[in-house]
Amino acid sequence: MALENQEKRPVAEKGEHIIARHLIEDDRIEEEKNLVIDGVDVSGRWNTFILSRVDSDFDRSFFREIKDTVVGSRINRCWQCGMCTASCTVTPLYRRFNPRAFIYMMQLGNLKELKKYVDVAWRCVGCYKCSQRCPKQVNPAEMMEALALLIKKYFPEEVESKLKVDENVKKIYEDMILGHGRLDLAKLHISSMQKMGRTKELIGKIEIDAIFKMVKDGRAFSVLRLSRPHNWRKSKEAMENYLKNIKTIEQTTI
Amino acid sequence: MDKLKENQAAYYPGCALLTIDRAYNNSSKLVSKKMGIELVELQDYNCCGIGEMKSVGAVSMYLPLRNMMLAKSRLGSKDLVMACSVCYHEFSRSITRVRENKNELAEVNAIFKEAGEIEGEFIPDGEARHILEFLYNEKGVDEVKKNTVKPLKGLKAAPYYGCLYSRPSMYTFTDKKPNLDNSERPRFMHDFLEAMGAEVVFYGNEVQCCGGRNVVQDEETSFKLCSQTLSKAKKAGADFLVLICPKCAGALDVNQPKIVEKFGKDSELPVVYLTQLMALAFGFSKKEAEFSDMISDPLRVLKEKGF
Repeated sequence: MALENQEKRPVAEKGEHIIARHLIEDDRIEEEKNLVIDGVDVSGRWNTFILSRVDSDFDRSFFREIKDTVVGSRINRCWQCGMCTASCTVTPLYRRFNPRAFIYMMQLGNLKELKKYVDVAWRCVGCYKCSQRCPKQVNPAEMMEALALLIKKYFPEEVESKLKVDENVKKIYEDMILGHGRLDLAKLHISSMQKMGRTKELIGKIEIDAIFKMVKDGRAFSVLRLSRPHNWRKSKEAMENYLKNIKTIEQTTI
Repeated sequence: MDKLKENQAAYYPGCALLTIDRAYNNSSKLVSKKMGIELVELQDYNCCGIGEMKSVGAVSMYLPLRNMMLAKSRLGSKDLVMACSVCYHEFSRSITRVRENKNELAEVNAIFKEAGEIEGEFIPDGEARHILEFLYNEKGVDEVKKNTVKPLKGLKAAPYYGCLYSRPSMYTFTDKKPNLDNSERPRFMHDFLEAMGAEVVFYGNEVQCCGGRNVVQDEETSFKLCSQTLSKAKKAGADFLVLICPKCAGALDVNQPKIVEKFGKDSELPVVYLTQLMALAFGFSKKEAEFSDMISDPLRVLKEKGF
């Protein structure tokens, strides 16, 4: 995957010990070789400086758009303490996944910056540690869902090239849950593997062993028996009508 | 369907428990019955949305709340007991949201009205209850001690709570209601295991995430998180990792052969559900507790320990 290459990108030597280094452009970091301030030699870490920058070109109308969704309704409460990033499960694995920064960019409507993170933004595992620890109940975990909506609206070509897998799997879930009312796990597994282009793995030893085991103890047949709830059609139609009428970010896409 | 009698509780099975994770479903029912509460399955239930439907507005709340309505109209029960942590999260999220936000309640009720399937408006007066919390509060540790006929002496168990059983307290009200667990250091499973005579192992990843939410889309992340948890528990000397969520089982048990293939034997550890161990301690056979359903092969260790 293209993504892996990006994660393994060699860290710029310049300012590499800065936390959230990825948020700062290379030419904004200045490192003096041997710096003496007021007669004190401040070599080493202390000789790194980050040049200040001014963001003035942003669009606040965007803020309203996020606030109107169910998942992003608390974006105005965030005061950027960074507790979400500090407690995040994903950040240690992917340094560029930084919920605090994402929320900041969303508050400012800074689409130019957000675009750089399309490839990691979907990696949230939904563990809700951030929402648990957030002192302002911003609910960053759900804010990441709002971010996904936003990315879908403003960067469709990026989604097509980088997030295809995530979007396809999400679509399978949605079709199955809205259409049938229940989740067929076997079907979900098989169709998502197909969508990801990994059909070959389905006939690997591990998968075959698992399938054989489930056929043997009868669980494979219980999957087939999982029927639709009675009268599900009524709920399905009502939900589809609702989705037609609401004006969330994703609805205004087209 | 008849209304509930005394000592019965409305039970929402969810999709995984009726099919692949039947071991958890059946053992939960066995254990509850032994402790004096019969779980009555809700018919015609629908999927709760398993965290994939949050971005579609009020639909994400309609899905779980339809089940609450069904439970009330058919079984006459305000509360609904469930064994899956993800379902528990989706239910408590929806109930809390419509309770705190009149607009969202109105939106959900509009969908209910249009569907016209169940009469009346939704009133958020019931609670979603996780089976662990339910048994702990309704029956308590003493009842577990009383029912234990075959103490789990010599078994070292590593309790794994996962994310959504105790988090976030803005939805589950852990820390806020005195009878609920602690959100950062849950202890109900510890208490149950100790009451059954097992030795509880502390390993530091009790409330870490298994990456189960993205287990389909993002195996890479999930495998890393799972191997951390499994190897930490193994290093601490655990014989089992004890779960209370079928989605965690999907990541830690079903995918374990793949994790071992990638990260080595350090991540090889049998995984069981809490209710399976409880069934074993309450005198049910290994077959009744359906240990053979688990892919990580807990039977081998049980045999070694003389069970």
